[in-house]
Amino acid sequence: MATQEKGRKFIVPIGPQHPALKEPGHFEFTVDGEIVTDATVRLGYVHRGIEKATESRSWVQNLYLLERICGICSHIHALAYCLGVEKLAGVTVPPRAQAVRVLVAELERIHSHLLWVGVAAHEAGFDTLFMYSWRDRETVMDLLEALTGNRVNYSANLLGGVKIDVTDEQSDAIWRGLDFLEDRTRHYLDITTSDSVFLRRTRGIGVTTPEQAKRLGLVGPTARASGIWHDLRVDAPYAGYADYPITMIVSDTGDLETRFVVRIKELFESYRVIRHILDTLPDGELVTRVPRRIKAGETISRVEAPRGELFYFIRSNGTDSPERIKVRTPTMCNMASVLALAVGHQLADMPMILVGVDPCFSCNDRTVVVDQGGARGGWTWEQLRQYGIDYYRRQP
Amino acid sequence: MSELLALLFFPAGLSLLAGGLVYEWVDRKLVARLQNRMGPRWYQPLADIVKLLAKEEVIPTGVNKLLFVGLPIAALAGALTSALYVPMFGLAPSFSFPGDLIVALYLLSLLTLCTGLAGSNTTNTFSLVGATRTLTQMFSYEAPFLLTLLGPALAAGTWQIGGIDAYAQNHLLLLTQPIGLLVALIGLMGKLELSPFDSPEAETEIVAGALTEYSGRGLALFRLGKNVELVIGLTLVASFYLGGLANPLEFLLKTGGLLLGLSLIQAVMTRLRIDQTVGMWWRYGALLVLAQWLLLIVTQGTVS
Repeated sequence: MATQEKGRKFIVPIGPQHPALKEPGHFEFTVDGEIVTDATVRLGYVHRGIEKATESRSWVQNLYLLERICGICSHIHALAYCLGVEKLAGVTVPPRAQAVRVLVAELERIHSHLLWVGVAAHEAGFDTLFMYSWRDRETVMDLLEALTGNRVNYSANLLGGVKIDVTDEQSDAIWRGLDFLEDRTRHYLDITTSDSVFLRRTRGIGVTTPEQAKRLGLVGPTARASGIWHDLRVDAPYAGYADYPITMIVSDTGDLETRFVVRIKELFESYRVIRHILDTLPDGELVTRVPRRIKAGETISRVEAPRGELFYFIRSNGTDSPERIKVRTPTMCNMASVLALAVGHQLADMPMILVGVDPCFSCNDRTVVVDQGGARGGWTWEQLRQYGIDYYRRQP
Repeated sequence: MSELLALLFFPAGLSLLAGGLVYEWVDRKLVARLQNRMGPRWYQPLADIVKLLAKEEVIPTGVNKLLFVGLPIAALAGALTSALYVPMFGLAPSFSFPGDLIVALYLLSLLTLCTGLAGSNTTNTFSLVGATRTLTQMFSYEAPFLLTLLGPALAAGTWQIGGIDAYAQNHLLLLTQPIGLLVALIGLMGKLELSPFDSPEAETEIVAGALTEYSGRGLALFRLGKNVELVIGLTLVASFYLGGLANPLEFLLKTGGLLLGLSLIQAVMTRLRIDQTVGMWWRYGALLVLAQWLLLIVTQGTVS
């Protein structure tokens, strides 16, 4: 490949349709032989206009819409929205509801991290680990289904509380499931830190220093694997996390192996917290009354999604639907690190580095207008509509 | 007439193609069960081939049409021809002459060479990267693999496959040349691009590698060629190192056992990067084989 004509770049495209990516995103890696010399990304293939859509729905309807931003971390989106709206409305959620929210959030984290272990192993060509971790993930999916009625989009939240309760039988089932999972997780930790062939693909690959992590604005387990002490469950406890404290897992090696280790160790932390909650679940109401119209005002709410900090900005004008909701998902923050790390690594490491941040494309897709003329400001609804009409007219 | 029969039906030709499909199924099923999956049904490889043969073959723009169509045929023909010199199914080779081992091994390499050429013939980025990797990998495993198969030849004192097989039936070379067996088995995996040596067709990086642009008949022929090579490779290793192949039953047991070993290695390994593959072969594979050779030459010299 190095023998290509001089001056012409050799670009390997990954996506929007590619076996490495289960969601559409487009990456272009310029390679010299096997070494990547440049990388660019294009996102936005699955932009769904959810933020705009929230403005035409009521506060309650938005709960269901926002839960569908992400298929993996649906509960945490609804939770962030509920926390924000409850803060605006000035209601206090009963402690039992807060505990159940944490319970579901941690079960969701387990399923998300186990999913990631499988995907990352598959990208490295270690399909056996992929198959086994996904098989074991079914345990937590079954638990979530038994608890909420759904495998994904659990819809456990209500404005002002939760709509599910944890019975004794469900509690026993969760205990049994966690015992099994803890055993398996210990096995995965052992494999990912001792399998010499697998370590050749992860140890020392894609090293992100704490300085880099800070400069690129990394969040979540990706940042914690690079020595950044940042976990909202600890830094700014929300829902029930003040009563059920979490120990932050941080390591400052910053390579792909550390990302495995940090995420797997977070699983143990989740198991511990869930057991703690089941042991000491407070009695009481599950839901409190929230008015149909929310008082005018604006607020932010921040939660720790499985992939990192999830940020909601909510503004109400006193009617029964929000004036503006802005969502910043963790993948958006982490994506820059993929491009920064790619340069200098081998093409074979690209899928691992890309998946190392646990990307979720449909979460982070949004339209961005890059106006090189220097004009600032957004587009009006009319301009956007006209642009859409013109765009489709231009298509052959 | 008998030559034509041997070429078209048995032991090469149709029966070998059928054998290749069966071995592919066993391999896929074993790996699937080891990975806690169900795996394909027994007729799945055949169904795949029938489907591919019935499909339209799309010839992309920018390729040399003659090469694009001809390379899969050459690849399969090379693999099938080499079967004539190998004791397939535990029967005596159809053709034999002194030195046929070298001819058979080079015919086997034709498949890899054709894959590399097929990849570099297209303008597809994935194919080009895949072709580079295919050929790079060939240069890394080919020499050690050849040397390991020459080890038994040296011990037997003949470079005729039939002669080595006869010698191996009385001498279990597994015991005297254990390194040879190991390197030969792993070399076979490199040849067939099985995990962990599947970086030339790493799906998460370069889709299907050199064969990305192939569909329909061309892909079917390449896959058949690979299946045939799996059977021949297993036969050669079993014949040389596991005490020869005196009858069909021995053939089934020994190649089946080797296939189980291949599946196990495939299931527990992570894909190696191409630089790691090359490094492993030249740093360890080649040196091990050379040490084995040195030992062989010294002992042969003292015994005779």
